[in-house]
Amino acid sequence: MCLAALFSVFAGCTAKNDETETEGKAAISFVDDDGYQINLGAPAKKIISMYSAHTENLYALGAGEQVIGGHTTCIFPAEAAPKATYDYQGDPEYVIAAEPDLVLIRPRISRAAPEFVESLRNAGITVVSLYPNTLDAFPDYINKLAALAGKEEKAEELLKVFDAGLNEISDLTSKAEDKQTVFFESTEVNIRTVAEGSMPDMAIKFAGGKNIAQGALPMTEGSSIAEFGAERVLENGEGIDVYVSQRGAMNAGGNLQSISERPGFDTVSAVKNGRVYVINEKLISSPTFRYVKGVNELARFMYPEIMDDVSAYISDEPATKRDFANLITRCLHIPVYVPSSSKYYLENRDTHTYGMFEDIHWYDHDFDYIETAVYSGYVSWRKGEDGKEYFDPDSGVTREGLAKTVFIAGDFSAKEANTAISDLGKCGNKRIVQILVDNGVFELDENGSFLPDKQVTHNEIIQALRFVK
Amino acid sequence: MKNPQKILAFILLASLCLGLSACGKKPPEQNSAPPEEKESEAQKPAGDPDKKAILVVSFGTSYNETRAVTIEAIEGAVTKAFPDYEVRRAFTSQIIIDKLEERDGLEIDNVKEAMERLIADGVGTLVVQPTHVMNGFEYDEMKEAIAPYEDSFKNISYGLPLLISDEDYAEVVSILADETAEYNTDDTAIVFMGHGTEHEANSTYAKLQQKFDDAGYTNYFIGTVEAEPTLEDVVAAVEKTGAKKVVLLPLMIVAGDHANNDMAGDEEGSWKTEFKAAGYEVEPVLKGLGQYEGIQKMFVEHVQAAVDALKA
Repeated sequence: MCLAALFSVFAGCTAKNDETETEGKAAISFVDDDGYQINLGAPAKKIISMYSAHTENLYALGAGEQVIGGHTTCIFPAEAAPKATYDYQGDPEYVIAAEPDLVLIRPRISRAAPEFVESLRNAGITVVSLYPNTLDAFPDYINKLAALAGKEEKAEELLKVFDAGLNEISDLTSKAEDKQTVFFESTEVNIRTVAEGSMPDMAIKFAGGKNIAQGALPMTEGSSIAEFGAERVLENGEGIDVYVSQRGAMNAGGNLQSISERPGFDTVSAVKNGRVYVINEKLISSPTFRYVKGVNELARFMYPEIMDDVSAYISDEPATKRDFANLITRCLHIPVYVPSSSKYYLENRDTHTYGMFEDIHWYDHDFDYIETAVYSGYVSWRKGEDGKEYFDPDSGVTREGLAKTVFIAGDFSAKEANTAISDLGKCGNKRIVQILVDNGVFELDENGSFLPDKQVTHNEIIQALRFVK
Repeated sequence: MKNPQKILAFILLASLCLGLSACGKKPPEQNSAPPEEKESEAQKPAGDPDKKAILVVSFGTSYNETRAVTIEAIEGAVTKAFPDYEVRRAFTSQIIIDKLEERDGLEIDNVKEAMERLIADGVGTLVVQPTHVMNGFEYDEMKEAIAPYEDSFKNISYGLPLLISDEDYAEVVSILADETAEYNTDDTAIVFMGHGTEHEANSTYAKLQQKFDDAGYTNYFIGTVEAEPTLEDVVAAVEKTGAKKVVLLPLMIVAGDHANNDMAGDEEGSWKTEFKAAGYEVEPVLKGLGQYEGIQKMFVEHVQAAVDALKA
């Protein structure tokens, strides 16, 4: 992958759209993806980003505070969601009135709303159009974005981490003896797949898989979507180990239920073996640093034993909730949860809101696994007196807490046994404790006590989660 | 959702005035007709009474397979039962219409577009059959959307939603009891999840619960996602029965987003998770009401009543 920065960074002063005048003077100078010469004297302080990937990358680069607004789809990280929203299908005056010194778009926007973009330019606002069509163009794109925001050093650091992350996954999965074959569904109508060289296709390769639709040609030039069809899926059905469906605002592969219900699909190995997975398009098709997470997810779908290996957690030490969330997501191989609706933060809910923990931030190493375990209802959280949400990552896990998780995640029936439990009266949910003791998931101590408040160890969690089918 | 619908309604009405139908075809002569002819056309029904259609109006779903076995199955049953009528489809959810068009390239009319097309195609006899469970906001809005076009048909009649008459309630209780007989054991609670509404029609749920109770199905429960009875109400009611197992089913025509996520989802706050957290063994059944042949037959009966109500 090309890591070289192809844009020019000059020391200098005022920027104008006249190459002869600006030569060697503009601090930031490059040609954007709509062919415009961009010259900026200094990094932008008030940025409006009309594309969610730009917003996300600016936050990753540490330029979140410079973002004063974005498109309605800019919901990651959560702190971007409450910022002012703008729509390129709407009135450009709203954007102009906010007085940004930079508006970020992508070529799709300038094609869809040329008058909107023109109005901004006429108002004297610097508009920059960026979009990396291939993964190879990602570093160049990030470097341009970083230059516009004055975050070049952070970009260099993040791009190294990005590359290292992809290589680490490739190294891990290269150890697999049985190379997995994947079918990647991008739309359920006509069962389309992804084109050779597209981000999802590259992700399959990074994740150590073989794309059954290898060599698929894009439907139109530059598109990541390619024709495939149900017939060819069924022809190749026995060879498809893993079936991945991409869902989100722009793509709509089927879900587990709809894919399983399709005529003849029960002959596809992945469907037969329950290896159909849904991945959020934001993780796999969007040019952001989260792409590494998307690749990691594909690798987890294909090689769960390698990717979800918990040997590093084996210990008789008491576990924290952070460990608990990690172990649950890994041991149960739960795909990480990412909300996709742009209205997600506008909805009222009694449950936890993604990304809103005061003590777990989106850049936390365990963010995805904690969010996923909480979203699944497997790990508790609390609302503080300040009305904010807390995960309490360093607090412990009790036997009863573990029992509740195992019962919710598993498939247990009441038994006739009805083992006598001396301290059942101290248990919050007697039915769950009774069923799990009767099912042999938990043992009682020498006094016949369950000990609901006793803290559990890593090993006890791993052991109990083995009962979850 | 209301505003975009209003805007769309305005655009569509405007386009009607311009003589453009939703599918881009020109209705006969309207644009080029001299003013006096236009006036005389507006005074009489535009359509041919022998050109008969049934418009089946559903909320819609973006789950393609589910749509095939529910909405399309109802439409199919109606088509089979009324061979003299052309059966057409409209959805009321613009969000779903837009999603299906953008995602799948499927073009589905909203109610106004469907009405405009029926008029443009010269249909003079129309039966409108909603697949709604009750006469709530969706039903009211559907009738409001159709009202401005009523005079364009010589003969128009409305079929009723699923649960209106006492006979409807009795029939639904009987169909659901039969369809769930395999789960109906002493230690099992059978819980239906309805949508719920702020409309007065929300009383439908309490009435259906009463009908189940009266028929002796005391382990059958009705709750709603967005109104009363709430999930908490149902959990409390189930608790009193001493049940060990809970079977969850949608009381909705299609098993769509609500059924997959709010009811059966492996997520915090879903009915499955909440019942499990309360210590029950839970079995979700993702089968929309529209999948039951008995329910499809009821809609055919409702269409029949509407056909019978047409002017002779």
